[in-house]
Amino acid sequence: MTLAVLDGGTFYHHDTIYGPRYRALFDRAIYVRDMAIRDLDGVNLLIVPDRINPDLLREHRGLLLTFLAAGKTLVVFGENEAETWAPGVAWTPRPTNFWWWLEADAQPPHRLLDPGHPLFQAVPFADTIWHFHGVLAPPAGARPLIEVPPEEDAAGGVLLYEDRVTTAGRMIVSTLDPFYHHGSGFMPATTRFLDGFLPWARQQAAG
Amino acid sequence: MSALLFTFGYRDRAMGAFAEHPAAAGRIARQDLYAFDNLALDGIDALLFSMHADQRFLAARAARIAAYIERGGTVVANGHIAYPYLPEVGGYIPSPGQGLKDLAIHRVAAHPIWDGVSEQDLTFRRGVAGFYGRGGHQPPAGATVVHTVGAQAQPLDFIYRVGAGRVLLHGGNDLWQYGGNDSTARIAPQLIGWLFGGAA
Repeated sequence: MTLAVLDGGTFYHHDTIYGPRYRALFDRAIYVRDMAIRDLDGVNLLIVPDRINPDLLREHRGLLLTFLAAGKTLVVFGENEAETWAPGVAWTPRPTNFWWWLEADAQPPHRLLDPGHPLFQAVPFADTIWHFHGVLAPPAGARPLIEVPPEEDAAGGVLLYEDRVTTAGRMIVSTLDPFYHHGSGFMPATTRFLDGFLPWARQQAAG
Repeated sequence: MSALLFTFGYRDRAMGAFAEHPAAAGRIARQDLYAFDNLALDGIDALLFSMHADQRFLAARAARIAAYIERGGTVVANGHIAYPYLPEVGGYIPSPGQGLKDLAIHRVAAHPIWDGVSEQDLTFRRGVAGFYGRGGHQPPAGATVVHTVGAQAQPLDFIYRVGAGRVLLHGGNDLWQYGGNDSTARIAPQLIGWLFGGAA
């Protein structure tokens, strides 16, 4: 029944996890530096926020694999070198365009591939759109949800997918970085995203 | 003369560029934050903490940080303070809104780190306000406030003395991120000058 989240100890993890807006949604926050296997007892869904120190995630890789092998759900956000510790993840960097919305036609490149996925009943596609730092190549059999096409020299790829084939569990993997931006108090799309995503994740944890 | 710039596991381009800035002349060494307990700080002039630093870790070491400053060290800290790891500073208070009146940066004291850096360039990046800082902290009595943000004049950049040492708190995005084609490019070399030059 439990939704847990890793806490990297930064001010923005603090604000997003312990701030009044979302605090009641998390059953457990685990300070990643002290994480132990018992912290995951009873946890059905674990969120690895963006910008958790990847050295620590590599160190805890065995524990995360055990969690997945037990059939649980792991949500992985961006900027934590997931390709070095999360099974099946292939990530390619892409130059970040923080400014797409200032351009004349302001059309984001994002494409919604799978509007029937239940996540999008909780999170409107428009609320998934902000800058991104890289793209993913999902493993065969995974369900890609949002992609961006190649652009000039930059590789195209997926920004969000669901993977039920690589492990006995379920992984939801994204390059997006909402914990950092919401916790910094500066990017309203990331707040709207979490407004939809976190209650959905809580529902999933309740299973 | 040397400073430690604390890293946090993943690569940060701005941090790399700052450490390798020609003005630093090899005096800024990158160091994993979690090695802090094993570092000898004697002979280190400055500790540089990013907005991405694990503040829970730092707050558990606040006494060592305070003692380092009291003995004459310099600390530069970026970001919002969520856990108390610096002596005498209050918590972060966000600006009350996202409009320009809430986000405009005002210089209230001249300081060599920001010499020749325009308030306009601090306030706007490509016409958008808010990147440099979006709120403030309560400084200790006697601090020199250099920049405030918004109509409520919240202290965003300030410098204060503790014992024989000094603290610079920049309550926004890392100071070493600035270095584009405008006057903010002056911040990095002037910050390096301040770190090693001995000016207040």
